[in-house]
Amino acid sequence: MTRAMHRVLVIEDDPAIRKVLSMLFETNGFRVVTADTCELGVRQAQTYRPDVCIVDLGLPDGDGIHFIRKVRGWSPVAILVLTARVAELQRLAAFEAGADDYVIKPFSSPELLARVRAIMRRIARSDQPAAVVRLGTAFIDLVNRVTRGPNGEEVHLTPLEHRILECLARHADSVVTHTQVLKEVWGPHQIDIRALRVYVASLRRKLELDPARPRYIVTEPGVGYRLVTDAEVESAERPARTRP
Amino acid sequence: LRAARFDTGVLTRHLGGLGISALCTAIAFPLYPHFDPVNIVMVYLLGATVAGLRLGRGPAALTAIANTAAFDFFFVPPRYSLFVANTQYLFTLGVMLGVAFVIANLMVNVRRQTEAAAERERRTALLYALSRELAAAADAVTIADVAVRHVASSLGEPGAVLLPNEEGKLCVHVPGSSDSDNSLVDLSAACRVYDHNQDGVEEITGQEPGKPLYLRLACGEHALGVLVVQSRNGGHLLPEQRALLDALTGLVALALERAHLAELAAAARASAERAALRNTLLASISHDLRGPLSAIAGAGSLVAQSSGSLDRHRRKTLGNLIEEKARDMSELLTNVLDLIRLETGKSALRADWQSVEDLAGIAVRNVEHRFGGRRIITDIPTEFPPVFVDGQLAVQLLTNLLENATKHTPTGTSIAIRAAVRDSRAVLRIEDDGPGFGARDPEDLFEKFERGQKESHVSGVGLGLAICRAIVHLHGGEIRASNRDTGGARFEFTLPLESLEIEAVEAVS
Repeated sequence: MTRAMHRVLVIEDDPAIRKVLSMLFETNGFRVVTADTCELGVRQAQTYRPDVCIVDLGLPDGDGIHFIRKVRGWSPVAILVLTARVAELQRLAAFEAGADDYVIKPFSSPELLARVRAIMRRIARSDQPAAVVRLGTAFIDLVNRVTRGPNGEEVHLTPLEHRILECLARHADSVVTHTQVLKEVWGPHQIDIRALRVYVASLRRKLELDPARPRYIVTEPGVGYRLVTDAEVESAERPARTRP
Repeated sequence: LRAARFDTGVLTRHLGGLGISALCTAIAFPLYPHFDPVNIVMVYLLGATVAGLRLGRGPAALTAIANTAAFDFFFVPPRYSLFVANTQYLFTLGVMLGVAFVIANLMVNVRRQTEAAAERERRTALLYALSRELAAAADAVTIADVAVRHVASSLGEPGAVLLPNEEGKLCVHVPGSSDSDNSLVDLSAACRVYDHNQDGVEEITGQEPGKPLYLRLACGEHALGVLVVQSRNGGHLLPEQRALLDALTGLVALALERAHLAELAAAARASAERAALRNTLLASISHDLRGPLSAIAGAGSLVAQSSGSLDRHRRKTLGNLIEEKARDMSELLTNVLDLIRLETGKSALRADWQSVEDLAGIAVRNVEHRFGGRRIITDIPTEFPPVFVDGQLAVQLLTNLLENATKHTPTGTSIAIRAAVRDSRAVLRIEDDGPGFGARDPEDLFEKFERGQKESHVSGVGLGLAICRAIVHLHGGEIRASNRDTGGARFEFTLPLESLEIEAVEAVS
């Protein structure tokens, strides 16, 4: 393997989790640097220039968000946060500070790895935004405005639906907050979040095979939406659970 | 100005006394040819009575003297002279004067007593009305409102009540008034009254003209607040007013004490309930955590010690077991924390417009790894209006119900999520075609630590449905469990709903 190893910075105060994360990334071909405080984390980020930062938000002094703000000031590095399930507001704050994605604790290793890889892929292709979005069998040509539904039939998207899809596709595979969608699609005319939900529901009816169980236009509870263009992410996201 | 007004009042009343005297004389003149002079005296006595009743002691005495003089001048021979020819008329005049004085005096007393009785009655009525309103007032702030209103209506003076807040600092409560009124209350003076015991009060309340009156609302040694009465005119309160105010203060203090005790009792009850909940939780958690913990410890030590003797497949099984048990424990912990948060009401509801379809989709995603061979049917009308709920809690509600359904139905059955609108509320149903609840009352399932089958292989501590009930109640809804006619279980709950105004939104875009 000749390509350079990707660097991961893990900022986590719990030594056990730090060890598990180090092992996980080292055995999967990453170079790992760890830090247990925000200050050290910022210094490491400056010194090692990592490709991805894994930040635990559940630090007692809450400086995970502090770290994101500091690093976002000078670096476009990918940031993935680890949060508790109930900490919805904190998660939202992390996204507003500039986080790219999140994983809920307790996390499963394959899920975390898949998320990190998705972020890397997104960064790699970010120079040329996709002109064509494939959602399973559905297909959207953003440039020529040709849309085909999951069964190959041509479907018509309203201009607003098209713009919402464009917005989600720009940030494909990562979380887009409600505020971000509203700002990018409607501009300064702030509208009701209810309307956004209605348009998204309509998009799902046109593009999802089973709109009641969306696979591609996924709601991130309390935060926003995520356009899943990568089948691998979705399947790896659900850890295999064998019940005895 | 006040003194001058006082003088004119007195002068008018004295002139009134002379007027009565003149009137009596005018009435007596036409009677004179037909009546004995002794009977004409009766007219004057009547006048003296009226003067006593209406004008008070001084003017009545003046009337008595004027009457005697007028009778002597106009009717006692020789007429039109103060000279008395017959000495027996001297006796008549003397008795007349004396009787007039006595009557006037009696009448003044009668009038005073009537007035006092009326005043007493008015005060009783006021205090009665106050005590009735205070009895209806449940909390200290309402009591303060009632007190201020009554001070205003009975004394005609604006007032305020200062109550201690959670930190024991006094805060002003002036109902329905602007902040400028609050500035009249000297907080430091109020605090001095509040903090000192009754002895210290007198010197502070010793009223200077124009200064508000501070009254300590207290039951025994225990201070509950301060009542402030502003004297708008800068004058002193009359003794009756002061007595009324004292009675009023006593009533308000009693009401505050009652509210305070009720609050304490409620807090004690809540704390006892919390303690009971905590004990049950602790007992149950320690039992339910020990199982997975020993599994994890066992599997972990096996992986660590058996170097090479475990094949890949077995190691994977052990790894999965550790992960699964850890997740179970995490879930249990989350449930317990959620329940405590929901039951103690510490978490504020972060309600927002949510689409039911979306919420159901997330819930299905959360539990689909458990569906096994079960079929999930989502039956939500396309144009279903959004619900106004806390998204996270609503998802948890649906997730718990779906999880519950998968736990208690055999594989191969189907689970349905249905939504409808009834009485302008969203009605959601989770239905399965499993065995249902049998003969037992399904409502019991919403109790904490209630499990479908005691000590069964089904994991969980029986908190899921208790959490569901708490969430639905937080949203002001109802949740019910019942057996379906066709067999199987049905959970039905309501969520708040408002119709969507998409037209306005379309217009903007």
